[in-house]
Amino acid sequence: MVKSVPGWVRALATVLAVVVGIYMLLPIIVVAISSINSERFLSFPPKGLSLEWYQLVLTTDTYLQPFLTSLWIGLLITAIAVVVGTAASIALTRFQIPGSQAILSFLMAPIIVPSIILGIALLAFLSVYADGASITGIIIGHIVLAIPYVVRTVSGVLLQQDRFTEEAARTMGARWWQRYLLVLLPMCKSGIFAGAFFAFNISFDDAVVALFLRSPSVETLPLAIYGRLEFSPDPSVAAVSTLMVLVTVLVLVGFERTLGLGKVMA
Amino acid sequence: MTQPLHLASRSSRGRKRPWLEPLLLLSPAIVLLMLGFFLPVAQMVFSSVTSFQGESGFSLANYAEVFKSDYYLSAMGRSLKLSLIQTVITLALALPLSYLMTRVSGRISGILMAIIILPLMTSVVVRTFGWVVLLAPNSWLGQMAKSIDPVRYGQGLLGTEAGIVISMVQVLLPFAVLTLFGVMQNIDPKLEEAARTMGAGFLSTLRTVVFPLSLPGLISGATLVFALSVSSFITPRLVGGSRLPVLAGTIYNDATVNLDWPFAAAQSTLLFLAVVMLIFATSRIGSRK
Repeated sequence: MVKSVPGWVRALATVLAVVVGIYMLLPIIVVAISSINSERFLSFPPKGLSLEWYQLVLTTDTYLQPFLTSLWIGLLITAIAVVVGTAASIALTRFQIPGSQAILSFLMAPIIVPSIILGIALLAFLSVYADGASITGIIIGHIVLAIPYVVRTVSGVLLQQDRFTEEAARTMGARWWQRYLLVLLPMCKSGIFAGAFFAFNISFDDAVVALFLRSPSVETLPLAIYGRLEFSPDPSVAAVSTLMVLVTVLVLVGFERTLGLGKVMA
Repeated sequence: MTQPLHLASRSSRGRKRPWLEPLLLLSPAIVLLMLGFFLPVAQMVFSSVTSFQGESGFSLANYAEVFKSDYYLSAMGRSLKLSLIQTVITLALALPLSYLMTRVSGRISGILMAIIILPLMTSVVVRTFGWVVLLAPNSWLGQMAKSIDPVRYGQGLLGTEAGIVISMVQVLLPFAVLTLFGVMQNIDPKLEEAARTMGAGFLSTLRTVVFPLSLPGLISGATLVFALSVSSFITPRLVGGSRLPVLAGTIYNDATVNLDWPFAAAQSTLLFLAVVMLIFATSRIGSRK
């Protein structure tokens, strides 16, 4: 190979990678550091260190309740989106359906349309045909946002696999449930995991749809954080945000170990 | 090629109603998206032209209102301006970074990928929180800005357009990098080697080989980043404050505070049309390549 990259380009590339790396992580690191501030008011860098905010966050209902709400909504969304999205992917990749390309674009549309539009459209729609903003609205919105990701990851995996394995099972006399449980679903497995990860993450992190469809009786974790930020941020918001990031880091590490991040994201 | 075997196995099993299985598999997704997405969006567009200040009947008055008011025009102008700036900066950073990620060892590339993905998977609310702390007048960045221009940045970078751009580019960069990385990964390194063997320098190889081949990724990345920029309101709102309204922010206000849905719907329809037209235009450019 020809003498490759000039030295100054290498130097510049290293600087770029380091600077962008710091820039990307900086806000998260700042939140984590602010959470151990001993002062009542947020300042950076902090004046003294203390873990009292974590104790406060973990022992009072202010954030614990929203966390539990976000958690169960997230798990519910994951379950529904995975089942519905996987079924649709199997239909689209394993059967000859007239207009399947159009159906696929239809299912992918929520990825392209900004979620603020979904938020206001759902709010107006539910106010006319149901009793307005409610937790049901948030759940519907999150399902709509999550389905395209599951369809994309699962059909991506299915397209790479041999479609005749299933035909073979059929010809050899497998019943329909054997075909699904023993052949199709094991094939979808890595796609389902990736889709589930996206689905949970979308729901757990979403503030846009939730802001439009929030009602006084329900508060998700991003809503709770947003609310404190608009009015009186103190280090307890930083503590709960840090815990939220930790959950994400754990899930990401789990993913890297089992499936490989590059594969999932590409 | 695969057709005959498929048909043969089906007919040999003598299955009745072959359309039933795919229909059952597909209908939950279609019904959910119909009810939770298409009908609401259609109804939103419909309501924007059939109801004005409580009166029903076809009217474009909501749209006229948007274009008559200085407040809304300036919010739209600011959205457009900031989104363009953010898109240019984001792609200018993402282009070299993505190329770098395809050309370094797997280990370093993996670390960079993790650094890019972690913020993407962190709630926008949390990231914006970090920026609010960082841009405040008493923080390092705020102090720095203050020493550069004490008048304009007296309150640090909070409440300034510069502050919005700094925090938004961090939110947008992962989307651009992932799009570009996907495209650049498929560029055969042999093409670059060939160009180098034929006497091209490193930079002219980048210009004549790598850049043209990454153009599809650049176009779709820019589309995605612009669409996300123009429709975001959480970061502009928390960093910029109420004195710097953007289109998505006025939509949010009119829908949830003023409760004027037809008017918010008209603004959303404009935003929706802008995004759809942009995607349509860039996909045409993309397919012509």
